[in-house]
Amino acid sequence: MLNTFLSHQWKSFWRSRNRGSSIAGQIVLGFFMLYFLVLALGAGFGMQFLLPKVFPNQDVIKSFNGLILYYFALDFIMRLQLQELPTLSIIPYLHLRISRSKIIRFLNIKSLFSAFNLWPFFIFLPFCFMKIAPAYGAFSTLMYIVTILSIMVFNNYLALYIKRKSISNVLYTLFGLLIFAAFAALEYYKVISVMAASDYVFKAIASKPYIGFASTLAAIAIFYINSDFLRKNLYTEELSSKQEKKASTDYAFLNRFGKVGELAALELKLILRHKRSRSSVIMGFFFLFYGFIFYKEKAINRDAFGQMMFGAIFMTGISIIIYGQFMFAWQSAHFDGILANKINFKDFIKAKFLLFTIGCTVITLLASFYGFLSPKLLLLHAAAYLYNIGFGTVVVLYLATLNYKRLDITKAASFNYQGTGATQWLLMFPYALTPILIYVPFGMLDKPYWGLIAVSVFGLAMLLMRGFWVNYIAKRLELQRYKIAEGFRE
Amino acid sequence: MILEIKNLKKVYGDKTVVNIEHVQIRQGETIGLVGNNGAGKTTFFRMLLDLIRPTEGEVLSKGENVMQHDQWKDYTASFLDEGFLIDYLTPEEYFTFIGSLNNLSAADVAAYLTQYGEFFNGEILNSGKYIRDFSKGNQNKVGIAAALMQKPELLILDEPFANLDPTTQIRLKKLLKEYPGNMTTFISSHDLNHVTDVCNRIILVEKGRIIKDFKTDENTLKELESYFSA
Repeated sequence: MLNTFLSHQWKSFWRSRNRGSSIAGQIVLGFFMLYFLVLALGAGFGMQFLLPKVFPNQDVIKSFNGLILYYFALDFIMRLQLQELPTLSIIPYLHLRISRSKIIRFLNIKSLFSAFNLWPFFIFLPFCFMKIAPAYGAFSTLMYIVTILSIMVFNNYLALYIKRKSISNVLYTLFGLLIFAAFAALEYYKVISVMAASDYVFKAIASKPYIGFASTLAAIAIFYINSDFLRKNLYTEELSSKQEKKASTDYAFLNRFGKVGELAALELKLILRHKRSRSSVIMGFFFLFYGFIFYKEKAINRDAFGQMMFGAIFMTGISIIIYGQFMFAWQSAHFDGILANKINFKDFIKAKFLLFTIGCTVITLLASFYGFLSPKLLLLHAAAYLYNIGFGTVVVLYLATLNYKRLDITKAASFNYQGTGATQWLLMFPYALTPILIYVPFGMLDKPYWGLIAVSVFGLAMLLMRGFWVNYIAKRLELQRYKIAEGFRE
Repeated sequence: MILEIKNLKKVYGDKTVVNIEHVQIRQGETIGLVGNNGAGKTTFFRMLLDLIRPTEGEVLSKGENVMQHDQWKDYTASFLDEGFLIDYLTPEEYFTFIGSLNNLSAADVAAYLTQYGEFFNGEILNSGKYIRDFSKGNQNKVGIAAALMQKPELLILDEPFANLDPTTQIRLKKLLKEYPGNMTTFISSHDLNHVTDVCNRIILVEKGRIIKDFKTDENTLKELESYFSA
């Protein structure tokens, strides 16, 4: 029976209409998956070399031990937001001659099929075999693995249990992230150390391996609590995450923009009230850490802004790139309504510009903490910011008029590539290359600051031309409206 | 003349979905568009609202082609399907938004909505739900009320009676019949009883063509029934 269920799920995955239909899209998707896989494996195998670099004056194994609890804390917070409750899939079976316990077993197993349950294998196991095994021997290594996998399973079922029992809310996730950041900060200033606690736990496992079974017991306990809850509440409306009461809201700060503000408020609600757009926003905040990859000390000292330009553009413009790549398609469900109503195309486009400008400004302000690395980076960010709001917005909105793919925004974002077409991938080229091309001549003449000024002036000029661009894009939208509306109707 | 349709054609591949030579609609008429599934009713309505590009011909609203001008939006309100609703808003937010497009303040909208208490049956306002969480029938009600709120000269509704409960169907009929002013109403329906009751002119379509176009009288229902049972 379980096999039948799983084969149905397998079919539903492969036959799902949401998947990118074109072969090109699938190939690109494949590459992305491969990329992340390689990244995870790289992290796993490279950990023994990376850890001494990040924590220089510390034993590698101690650093490794210290990271595990951090990883799972973050894992848990992310699960609360992103992991989906496998509830809808059981509806077709509930009224058939299938016992409750079988359905519950299916639900439990299905919930394990999640990307969250894949990463620990890649990230932690290589290190266990390469470093822990020689240091502590086979039994301890085995218990390390058992413990790590147990915590993973524990997180899996606890997150689902909490989601089923309580109202899931983005605020909780943000709150969780804040606590997480607070602990990291306390760690940094050596007030409270979670790393030490984590290390203590795993040291204990290394010396007395059977302690590891405690986590297994915890995992089993939460598994049974979860199953018991399912058994008593096997009604789909009770199993999906609880709904909070919806209230009407009014964004007063947007009112001053008149009709444009009205449309921007509408879109802000769209972003906040749908899973897919919400997770895009959260992803955007994660990209704030992107700078740590690009801003190398060497590059900063040499004023090599060309190298860092991509990171800066990407980070400050993330809201434009991530949200803009599916532009207009976010509204595909009610695009007919927008066309049939008294909405001026120019106002419609202006509202997008307004929203992008607000998003980009917020992110740029948040990113100014890089100023602690070097105040030069703030100049770089300012140039990138002007480029993004001046020209990036135009690129994105122009490409949006070429996008006819419907998007179902009620579905979650992870592993949902519906609405992804060639335009989305093409978007990145003009977007990222233009500023670098502007900068390069100055970089080669060893006038880095003039390069930044050139990029800023370009962005500013485009910003001053915004009226022209609004007219131009509104005209394009007017021309393309039938095609877009038809595509959005499916 | 509020609407004039000239030689309107829509072709998908080698299939002609709509093919209407000439129709004139005068101010104040209430017209029912009747036809089986696939007769091209919704496609026709979409072309009236400039949502689909006609293969040939034109739709003139007060003498101006809807494809080239936007003025028709000032006096036209419509509700074809859920695609017209912004489903992640609460009904109040949606009404306020539609109101703002027509220069109605939030207070105007609230005042307007008070008269709809009966029509909404207490289920829609202050329900603490987004539009997407409502049943289809209640979503219909929101769309129809939002269209009427715009006090349009031309109202276009696609199957307004579908998914509504009997009480609401009767209320909606009353609403459409008694609506003040000289509103021109264009509705489609599969319910012959309702459509003959509400409309003073019936247009019967089959495979995109107009078969009959006549004023309603006491024999209309019988005529239509005999046509559809043949």
